[in-house]
Parts: sequence; structure tokens; C-alpha cells
Amino acid sequence: MTDTILDKEQKLVQLLEQTFKKLSGKVVRQRRVTVSVEKELVPSVLSYAKSQLGYIHLSHMSCVDWPENNNFEIIYILWSPADKVQLFIKTLINRENPEIDNVDMIWKHANTYEREIREMYGIQFNGLVGAQEFILEDWDDMPPMRRDFDTVEYVDDNYTFRPGREDAGDVREEIVKRSGEDIPDFAKKYSRD
Amino acid sequence: MREKATTLYLGPQHPGITGNMMIKLKVEGDTVVKAETHVGYLHRGFEKLMERRNWLQSFTIVCRICVPEPDPNELNYSRAVEEIEGRTVPERAEWIRTMMMELSRLASYLLWFGGQNGSSGLYTMPQWSVGDRDYILDLFEELTGGRVYHMYIWPGGVRRDLPDGFADKVLQTMDYLEKRLKKYDDLMFANTIFQKRAQGIGWIDPKKAVEWGVVGPPLRAAGIKSDVRIDDPYLIYDKLDFEVPTQTGSDVWSRALIRRFEFEQSISMVRQCIEKMPKGEVYNKIPNPMKWTIPAGDAYVKAESARGEFGYYVVSDGSDKPRRVHVKGPAYVHGVTLLERILVGANIADVSFIMNSLGTCPPEIER
Amino acid sequence: MAFFDIKGLVTPFTALTQLGKAPHTVTFPYHKKETAERYRGLHYNNIEECIGCGNCSTICMNEAIDMIHVDGVEGGKGDSGLRPRVDNGRCCWCALCVEVCPTGSLNLTKEYIYVTPDADAFLWTPGVSNPEGKEIISFNSSVETSLGMYNRIPMPELEGKERVKSFAEVMLYYSEEEAREEATRCISCGLCTEVCPAHMHIPEYINAIAKGDDNEAIKIIYDNNPLGELCGKVCTRRCEDVCAMQVRGDAVAIRWLKEYAVGRAETADIIKEIVNPEIKEPNGFKVGIVGAGPSGLTAGYYLALKGFDVTIYEANKYAGGMTMYGIPKYRLPMESLDKQIDYMKSIGVKIEFNTKVGKDITFDKIYKSHDAVFVGVGFQVPYKMGIKGEEAVGAFPAVNMLFDVNNGKTPDIGNKVVVIGGGNVAIDGARVSRRLGAEVTIMYRRRVVDMPADWEEIEGAEHEGVEIMPQTIPVEIITDENSKVKAIKYLKAEMVADDKGGRPRPVPIEGSETIMEVSSVIGAIGQEADYSFFTEEALKEIEINRGRMVVDENMMTGMKGVFAGGDAVNRTADAISAIADGFKACKSIEKMLVK
Repeated sequence: MTDTILDKEQKLVQLLEQTFKKLSGKVVRQRRVTVSVEKELVPSVLSYAKSQLGYIHLSHMSCVDWPENNNFEIIYILWSPADKVQLFIKTLINRENPEIDNVDMIWKHANTYEREIREMYGIQFNGLVGAQEFILEDWDDMPPMRRDFDTVEYVDDNYTFRPGREDAGDVREEIVKRSGEDIPDFAKKYSRD
Repeated sequence: MREKATTLYLGPQHPGITGNMMIKLKVEGDTVVKAETHVGYLHRGFEKLMERRNWLQSFTIVCRICVPEPDPNELNYSRAVEEIEGRTVPERAEWIRTMMMELSRLASYLLWFGGQNGSSGLYTMPQWSVGDRDYILDLFEELTGGRVYHMYIWPGGVRRDLPDGFADKVLQTMDYLEKRLKKYDDLMFANTIFQKRAQGIGWIDPKKAVEWGVVGPPLRAAGIKSDVRIDDPYLIYDKLDFEVPTQTGSDVWSRALIRRFEFEQSISMVRQCIEKMPKGEVYNKIPNPMKWTIPAGDAYVKAESARGEFGYYVVSDGSDKPRRVHVKGPAYVHGVTLLERILVGANIADVSFIMNSLGTCPPEIER
Repeated sequence: MAFFDIKGLVTPFTALTQLGKAPHTVTFPYHKKETAERYRGLHYNNIEECIGCGNCSTICMNEAIDMIHVDGVEGGKGDSGLRPRVDNGRCCWCALCVEVCPTGSLNLTKEYIYVTPDADAFLWTPGVSNPEGKEIISFNSSVETSLGMYNRIPMPELEGKERVKSFAEVMLYYSEEEAREEATRCISCGLCTEVCPAHMHIPEYINAIAKGDDNEAIKIIYDNNPLGELCGKVCTRRCEDVCAMQVRGDAVAIRWLKEYAVGRAETADIIKEIVNPEIKEPNGFKVGIVGAGPSGLTAGYYLALKGFDVTIYEANKYAGGMTMYGIPKYRLPMESLDKQIDYMKSIGVKIEFNTKVGKDITFDKIYKSHDAVFVGVGFQVPYKMGIKGEEAVGAFPAVNMLFDVNNGKTPDIGNKVVVIGGGNVAIDGARVSRRLGAEVTIMYRRRVVDMPADWEEIEGAEHEGVEIMPQTIPVEIITDENSKVKAIKYLKAEMVADDKGGRPRPVPIEGSETIMEVSSVIGAIGQEADYSFFTEEALKEIEINRGRMVVDENMMTGMKGVFAGGDAVNRTADAISAIADGFKACKSIEKMLVK
């Protein structure tokens, strides 16, 4: 087990990099390969992987919000029953005007993922057909899975708390009150919350 | 003469529906011509909640994604965190985890036996199998302290070692279940009514099954030998002796048989776990959970749950909270696109029967 | 298969054979199910064991646990006085609160039924509302299973044999990795800050270290302690005595973590750059400070930041007071102290060295030329041992020896030294004597556990080959014809319980008289202050009670505008109390003059 042979993983990366110029891949570990592509290339890479390389199973499709980089990351996780390798295909899309091509003609069930991502992150999938509402009903707020959607704020705005717990104290505050300690503002972010 | 199409709403509250979801059926006579899945009745925002909770706090939430089979969630979450962090797990913990997984598969199949028969009107079977499932829940209670939500498998291992005398109790329960399986055969598999109902309906094209995203027992019932435990071995499945049964019918009956045979395999695996389990630690302690950070990275881990490949995609940005936890249950595909596809042409009375055979579980669709 | 498969139609009816059997899932008549050994039911909290750290409340992701005041529970040292209350409507019985409870007081019980028509009643305080829970505890945590990190990261230090060869620092201090890991152990409850005389922001700076923000940690430390490095090396760290982790394991190494953080800043310039303090415009007020010890320096530092014109009058060549002259250099190296004092000078604190008040300058002059005066003179005059032969050559107080050694002299102590006393000064005297090449024995009246010195110091001394003779009472120093120390006569003592409930007293055992040949006897049984520098008028106003100046809550003595702090005021007589006094006096002076 010490010398893990990564031949098929490396071959896969090579093959993909040769076929698509603007693609960079790396072998993460045994049975796992990650490649990054530009969003325009996604449909071609996916259909190539499916039809030519044997990655016929779409295991998963996900989206991660990176507001600090102004990006959404879309991840397609493919699986080849023959090679038994997980292939991650990642692409970044701009957060300002998020859109990407729909791929449900390659895998029908990508449609479900796309509908959910559209609803939860507000990403447009060009050419996606399917009911607008998937999980959320009559939702008029920001797409809720975006990082800047604050659930606590939402709850505070929309619900009231059952009374009876106002007497809850804070240990740190209690100690501060008793000892007369004066925590400077810049240090407060390190206090327990 | 073509009959006028009618719209029929099945669910969200309906005895034939597993959980809260609704299927909007367009029927002509009693034949379905179009089916549309509608979910959103139990969205609890787990994935969003986890982004606000630290890595350990999130572990207690994941089991609630699936009532019949919470353990694959715990396992996947833990394994994903371990993979990103590079944390090792003591060997004994791996064996205990495997035993948990197989026990949970047994419990889940027992519930499924009940559900499948219940949706065809054979009500003795649910009474029996749900009752027998309680014996497994007793085991869980003794091992983990909880009957349904165990919160037992956590990053680094499992929470507690087996209590004294637990192994014997497990073996006794396995003997009991093996004995009971014969009764189930009489009641269910040898039952003409069940056979007639199950055979030939809910057919999935074996040639298309993989690319349609079918996983687990329905895929094996289509003759494709696909099982995460063998394809991408995790825990200590490579040290266990077991078979992956396949069928060729690709209908409800074949799926029932697959589960029936796997039930036997799981009993055998639990016994092997008890027999071969090494001694030692069960837990590599994590640091103070309030200050526990995970290096940036991502992982997709999957486990073979009773309904098929159960995946977790976890992303860390290097902080003390997950950046993203994305849960992929088998029902995400089975319950939406696949169900919509294979319900076409089915009889109304078979809708919930077919749905059950796929193991549809709405909480996985809307986490 | 035929349409009418007889077997397939008949076999299901075998289920009928179950009809006569007893049900196996429902009992009749009903009896309540006995839950498993580790069942996770309702909470029980042992109110006496609980220290109110609130870790349960922090880990609870359902926000089901509040910390509230409970009748009959008074907070105190190491106890916030708050106790957890659980909202059973929100609890999910994950038992993480049990897993992170540092004391193990919080448990889950076997009880799982709680029915009430009153929804508000679901809020209840475990242990108070269900005292009977104690009998049915099921899910609990032990040191092994708990998620608390109970073991301290060991502090690397020099080998005992290496240490006695020089005055090199004994502690090698944490590396970055070790410090991060040690800082991770802290649960940020803040119980420690209450017992810290200076109320340093301990959880905050430890958290900053854990997160890798060392500079922020330094800033937080300098917020109310300008001698962080000094404290990091020699503080008496009462904080660690009340650390939540200390209940079932080792306290977080708060002192070493502070050392780690402040030690990152290697020069005075770097400290200034990191702390980057806001120095206010001069406000025209002048403050004179007597003594550049920890209290004086602290008062001077914060007053200077606030725009006061500060002058410190120090009798000796170096600043630092007892920390400079009384603490051996293997514990607190000269460079470390220099760095901290250079930094203070750089922000505007003026120090007049070699200026003994009462001799080189009168107290009256200082009083008249300043708007306020702070007196931080400390205790320098050692107590007499009160035994025969104390005046002999070769019998001297430890503080004098430490002063000499720290001034670069090498006192002649011979090869066999006896140190009398059990405090840190005694241990310092003993360990310094070891480094001067002598064999050392410490004589202490009571047991080793009663010794007021730090356990780490005692252990360090033992590692260096110091012999400790507890329950030993010296009675006479025997001298030779040149009135030089020749031997010491002592009695062994037994511990007798005190009738009045005090700590056990040592009572000499008759006939246990023994004589030990020695070359020097070093006394370390305490010091007192020298108030001779005060003018007579000042002494009329300043009240001195049992050797200590009496101050009001603003640290002001009976004489208006004269403030005091440090060993000569407080009872604890350690550096951190002196720093706290200085900080407090600074605030009072500001209040008196500016606001």
C-alpha cells in the first residue's frame, strides 16, 4: 500500500490536458483527479469525459460561494465504473452575473442539481428547462445559500422568540462585571461568542 | 377512445408517500402519463446551518437528514472531515463503524420491507419487520445512547467503545433476525400477491441505468454489479468476506430480492465484524472543538447506504466552520428524474409501490 | 408460475401461527422501559462541582443552554456563579455539552419522559430542578472520553545538570507549534481573569495565539500590563489555579503562553511597532514616582501614554526593583528586562537612576515639584531569623546575596549551604547557591506541600540537586573562633493539628537535636519596607499598618496626591499585584488631575 500506483490517474490528467488546452488537472490521491476549466469548456469536457473516457456516471454536482474572490465555484463529480476514479471538474463563474451552460442533455439528472443551484445561489443555467421553483416556494429574498444571506438576521426579522429566556447571562460578562476588567474593543473579537 | 387527462396530486400527506413530498400526476384513466415531483415540505436548511456551526457542532446535525438510516450521514461527514484534515482513525473504530453501517442497513431494510408491503396492502409484514427493527434499535441504544439518532460516528473515530457483553447481544440479535428472515420469505417473497404486484413493474432500462444516475439496489437489480463497498472500498470492507448480489429483472421484484439477499450478507458481515474486531483505541481525539480548524481543501466521500451511493461533498476554507457541506442522497436522483421517468405508463395504484422500491426519501432531496 | 400458485397463496397464512404468542414489542400491563447504561436522557448537573464556565452553553448548537444565576450559588474564585439551564424544547440530546464539560459535572440521565402542560416548564436547571437525577446518571464523560484537552504541552527546559553550570535561562519556552497547541486547550471561559490582580484579558490573548495572531496577542497583553514578558517568566500565576482545565487535568500554561507571545517581539523597537500605542498630547501635569519596580514602571508607562510628564526616581543602577535584583537571572535574564524598560523609555517615561529618595533627593522636593506622587518602594529589608549566631560571618539574608549576584559579584558561600525558608526567595537562594558551586539544603518548618514557593520552582530545585529538609527548625548557628559559620543546629518537628482549625503547626520533637556542618547559612523568611525616606510631616499623614502603607480604594495614601502600590501596600507581594496597583493608581491619578 505504501507505493500507490497512480498510473491511470496521471494518464487521465494527461489525456484531458492534451485534449483541452485551457485545462489544468492534478491527481489528488488514488482514485481522485481534479481538473479546472473555464466555464465555456464545461459542456465539452463533460461530454468528452462521458463519451470517450468512460466517466458515465455523474455522482454529484455542487456549488460553493466564494464572495471574497467574487466567484461561484461549480463542481461536477464524475465516476467511471471501469476505471473506478472520481473526476472533479471545477469551474469558476463571476458572482456579478452568474451564468453557465446547462448540461442536462448530457445527464438528465443534472437538471435537478441545476434547478436547486439556480434557486439557492441565483445562478442562471443557459437553456435550462424546468419549473422555476424547486424547494423554495414564494421566496422573494436573496438566494438563501449565498454566503451573504444571514440566517440569524432572517430569523430575527421574521419570527419572534418565546419569552422566558431573557435572564440568560454570559460567563465572560459576569466575570468582567465582578472584577471591573475593561476589555478593549479590538480584543473583543477574540472573546468567546 | 382516449380518455380525458386528469391531474392527481399524490401527497404531501399520503400513506403511500415516504415522507413529505408531492407527486403531481397526469393520469388518463388510471394510467400515469406524466409525473412531476414537488418537494419543499420539509426543507430544514441543514447545509446552510452547517455553515454557521463549527466542525464538531455540524456533526450532530447530519444524522437528522435521514430517519431510517442516519449512520451513513455521520460516517460520510466524519470521513470527509478526516480526509481533508488528514486525521487517522484507530483500526478498532473502523471495525465498529463498519458494524454500525451494516446494522443500520439491516434496520433500514426492515423498515423498507414494511414500507414495500404496506404500500401493497400487506399489513402483517410492516407489523413484524418494524417490530424486529426495534431489536436493532435496542442495540443502537446500548452502544450509542440513542435509538434513532445515534451521533456516534464522529471525526476521529467513534464516541465510545462497545459496552460489556455487547458482542453477545449483537450475535443473539443476528441469530434472531436470521430466523425471522425465513418468516419474511413465507410472508413476502413466497406470497403470490406480492409477486404478482412486483414483477414487471417499475422497469429501469439496464443500458441507461448508470448514466441516469441510478445507484444501489435498483442498479444491482438491473444486473450491474456496482457497490461502493467494492468499487471504492472504505472502512474495512476489503477485509470482509461478502458478495454483491445482482438480479436481471430491473423491476420492483428484483429490487426486493436484492434487498433480501443483502440482508443475509449484512447479517454475515456484522458477525464477521464482531469476530475479527481488534482491540485498541476507538478515538483519535480532536482538539478543543471550539478552536478546531480544518485546513483548506475539499473531499467527496461516499458510502453504500441501504438505498445506494450516499455522498458528501465537504469544502473547508481553513476556518473553524465548514465552507460548504453538500449532501447527495441516492433519492436526489431516484426521487426526481428517475421517478418521473419510470412512473410514466404505470398504474396509479403502483405509484407508491414503485416509489418505495427506489427507496425514495424526500429529506435527502431537500436537506 | 401458474396464476393460482397454491403454495404462494397458502404460505403467508403461516403468519397465523403467531396468533397465540405473547407480543414482544408491547408489554401488558405497561411498564416503563429501562433505558440503556449510556442512554442520553434528560440532563443532570452537579451544582457543587460545576464551576459555571459556560462551555456547555457555547458548544450547544441549538442554543438550548443558558447560563443563569441560581439561588444558593455564589460565584467566587474559579466559579462564575452561573449555572446552565436547559431549554428542553430545543435540546437534541447530542450530549456534546457533556463531552466538553471540563469538570464532568454535567451528565445525561436515564430519564427520558418529561411531560407538562406548561410549555415554560421545559426550561429547567439541571441539578436544581431534578436533584434525583444524581442517582440515574447514564451518559457521562471521563478524562479519557471527554473532548477537553487535559494534558499540558510539556515545557522544554534545560537538564538539571546543565542548569547548575551557568545562569542561562532554565526554561526554553514554547516553539510556535507548541504554543498554538497549548493555546488551543483554552476554553475561553475567562474565570482566570477574575483572580488575576491585573485582570489581564487572558482568554482574548490566548485565543489570538491559537489563531496565529501573535501581534494582536501582544497588543492585548500590553493593554493593561506593560511588563508582559516579566510576567510571562516569573508571574505567580494565580490564574492557573482556577483554570477550568485544572479541575480534571493540567491548567492551561497561561504564563508560558504570555511569554511566548511577548517573546516574539525581540527588541524594544519591535514592541513599539507592534503595540503602536496612542500617546496623548502632553497635558501639563507632572507625576513623580518613587522606585522603578513593577508598580512604579506600570504607573509610569500608562501615565506617560496619557500625556503626563513622568519621572521615576530609582536608587539603583537598573530599573526593575525586586524583579531586577531579587530574581535570579536564570529565571529572568537581564536582556529581557532591559528590552521592556527601553520600550517604556521610548514612549516617554523618564527614569533617574542612582537617585535614592531621602538621600540624593528629598521626598519633600518630589512632593512639591509634582502634581502627584506614586510610591512603589517594595520590601527590601530582610527579616532577621532570630536565632543565636545570626551575626556570624557567612550568615546572610537571601535577598542580599541575590542582589550581589545580580550585580555581578560572586559572594563567598563555601561549599555547603543551608537555606532557611520555604518561599520563592528561599528557592532562588538555593538554586543560585547551586550555580555558585555549593551543595545546598533547604530547611523548612512545615511540610513540602505547605511551602509557599511555586511547585515548579521546588521541582526545578530538586532537579538541580537541592536537598529539601521539611519539618526542620534551625535553632542555632555555631561559629568557629573567627566567628565564621561552622555548623547549624536544628530540631526535627512533627505536625500538630491546630485546635482553632488553622493549618497544622510544626512542633519540635524533643531530643531530635542534630548538628550539620555548613559553610554558609542563608535566611529567606521574608522582607519588610524601609520608610525612612518619608519626611516626618508625610509620616504623620500616611498611615502605616503592620509594615504596609494604608491606601484607599483609589490607591491614595492619607496624604493627598500621594499614591502607593506594590509590595509595600498589598498583601500578596508579587509582581502582578504590583502591576495591578500601578495600573489602578494611574487611573486614579488621571481621575484626580484631569477629570
